[in-house]
Amino acid sequence: MALAEICGLQDFDTFSNEAPLQGDVFNYTKNFENNMNLGLPPFPKFTENLSHLSKDESGRELKIKFDHGTTTLGFQYQGGVVLAVDSRATGGDFIGSQTMKKIVEINDFLLGTLAGGAADCVYWDRVLAKQCRMYELRNRERISVAAASKLMANMVYNYKGMGLSMGMMIAGWDKRGPQLYYVDSEGTRTPGQVFSVGSGSIFAFGVLDAGYKWELKDDEAYELGRRAIYHATHRDAYSGGIVRVYHMKSTGWVHIDNNDCMDLHYKYQQQKEDSLNEV
Amino acid sequence: MAMVLAPEIPESGFSFENCKRNADLTKKGFAVPKATKTGTTIVGIIYKDGVILGADTRATEDTTVADKNCMKIHYLAANMYCCGAGTAADTEKTNAMIASQLELHRLNTNRVVPVVTANQMLRQYLFRYQGYIGAALILGGVDNTGPHIYSIFPHGSTDKLPYATMGSGSLAAMAVFESRWKPNLTEEEGKQVVRDAIAAGIFNDLGSGSNVDLCVIRKGSVDYLRTYDEANKKGVRQASYRYPKGTTAVLSTKVKNVVVEEVSVRHIEEMDTSS
Amino acid sequence: MSILTYNGSAMVAMKGDECVSIATDKRFGIQAHTVSMDFPKVFEMGPHLYLGLPGLATDIATVYEKLRFRKNLFELRENRQMSPQIFGAMVSNMLYEKRFGPFFVEPMIAGLHPQTFKPYICNMDLIGCRNEPVDFVTGGSASAQLFGMCESLWEPNMGPDDLFETTSQALVNAFDRDAISGWGATVYIIEKDKVTTRELKTRMD
Repeated sequence: MALAEICGLQDFDTFSNEAPLQGDVFNYTKNFENNMNLGLPPFPKFTENLSHLSKDESGRELKIKFDHGTTTLGFQYQGGVVLAVDSRATGGDFIGSQTMKKIVEINDFLLGTLAGGAADCVYWDRVLAKQCRMYELRNRERISVAAASKLMANMVYNYKGMGLSMGMMIAGWDKRGPQLYYVDSEGTRTPGQVFSVGSGSIFAFGVLDAGYKWELKDDEAYELGRRAIYHATHRDAYSGGIVRVYHMKSTGWVHIDNNDCMDLHYKYQQQKEDSLNEV
Repeated sequence: MAMVLAPEIPESGFSFENCKRNADLTKKGFAVPKATKTGTTIVGIIYKDGVILGADTRATEDTTVADKNCMKIHYLAANMYCCGAGTAADTEKTNAMIASQLELHRLNTNRVVPVVTANQMLRQYLFRYQGYIGAALILGGVDNTGPHIYSIFPHGSTDKLPYATMGSGSLAAMAVFESRWKPNLTEEEGKQVVRDAIAAGIFNDLGSGSNVDLCVIRKGSVDYLRTYDEANKKGVRQASYRYPKGTTAVLSTKVKNVVVEEVSVRHIEEMDTSS
Repeated sequence: MSILTYNGSAMVAMKGDECVSIATDKRFGIQAHTVSMDFPKVFEMGPHLYLGLPGLATDIATVYEKLRFRKNLFELRENRQMSPQIFGAMVSNMLYEKRFGPFFVEPMIAGLHPQTFKPYICNMDLIGCRNEPVDFVTGGSASAQLFGMCESLWEPNMGPDDLFETTSQALVNAFDRDAISGWGATVYIIEKDKVTTRELKTRMD
């Protein structure tokens, strides 16, 4: 019996002590109580040691591939802010979904776009939505876009270097007019006129920069966003599916339309042929 | 001077010209793809009148079943066959090469090649390549000195045994032999034991599967029993998922007619190899 | 990431009743970046003999040229056509010569015997281990998806029209679940008296 006591097994025969297990459950579900408190890996110095988890004991690559790869864009113009995104979710080379919703409607005057780890983005956007609603209830006015984006940036900064992966745009309309911010998991937060984020962003920028000007009409702006995303899906393997376009107006956001990339491709191809045949 | 009609005879043996490039690619982080493995159960026993070889028929590429009905019992000579486990290409090509050398040896010596000769040739070849040729073999045959079973390991060591198993399912198969093999089994008893050993591998080892192939070698005759038993039959598909004509959107169609003007079949007389 | 999925490809060949099919996607990419949408990966090696080379694009070109040279030389020397079986043996031996420094291609062959017109398909791994099934072979980065499609769609004794429909749908639906293959598809239906080549309308994302 003495040995058992030394080993801390005094309750082994009765199983009366469930506290260690309860402590486990409690420690890994802290974010139920406080959304910003994620369970941390059960070993020391995990920022340095996290990379060891990608291989098993025999050195084989563990397949922890979460959803990645995106094209999203947003720009400000005279009519407000336009956001356009694709809808493909990939795990490695496998296409997990062609219909993912990469624009999150935080409230009537705030939109967020997702790029990077899908789970990270969806979770933190949800936390942000709650924070924004709490702000509204406490202060009897809507949160400014600057404040919302700063909340987001500060929340994810606490986990810098621990493996969060996200690059998002937050668009909104507040007292100071239309706003567009870029926030990522490295801690960057910056306002700007034109952004594109994700693996297909270089292709989207090519179209966007060529066609962008402040004076765009609403329809022209939608079409520019749509085209930029379509061309990115065409050249980037990890973008595709549906092009979704949103418009942030002074009266709140409006969902403009969804277009299948296949339909867009053959439509644009037809337009190109028609224009060549015109004299 | 090499010409198209009188080309230089290329050097025989393996070519290593891609090795440096591939090593550089691997260094950059591009994993070298895995070759097809047999991931196998192969066995061989001696019975009253000769030997019986057995094999499953699954070939795997990593976790995918690449071939559901492959042949793992290879021909070596009229009185000798050889089962292969390990890297599929290695076992196949090694056996093919040794088979042709045995045939030349038989023509040179003008007698039935003894099984020890094949064993010696295989082990010397595998030893030369220090295990890099991943072939684990069970050699079985009957010659003037009687029936023989050899198990040959990739590094070139060999065992002469009355019953042998190899491959990832070898433990399951050996369990069957250890409990049921005895000297002077009849042919029917022998076939049953070998079938059960392979079936044990098929059912208990994930690398083995599909059917049982047997090869019975007696003095002067061979029965190659391809698909001796379907150990676990695949269920029949209930519905047909055939697409109606015109489902696929076609952008353009090009038809190229092949006019067959004349078909002549030239039968090549078999080389006289009887002696 | 394996070298075989550096450029991305999807390829399938099927046996039918007195006909065979071989189909391929048309993408040439460098990982995520789609460079070209008109890249040949299936080659006509004879009137009834087609060779598919899924894998690393640089090796596709090298292996194709090597095989074309050897096949032409065989036909000049022997004054007879190569049957798909013999061609398969030649490819297999050529790949095995480079056992310790392989080309990163997993070839597949589809064809009819030049005299008997018996259908033949086979594929092999990168060091030339041949697989000659009775139904279908798959290859490329979408091969897992293709296995799933073919196992449920393939039936014995399909005529050329059904074979086309089955092959096309298997290929298109497989590469629609693979990020790095697709962007157009070509389907060859090989019959005794004609070879029909069809370009398919597919997703371009």
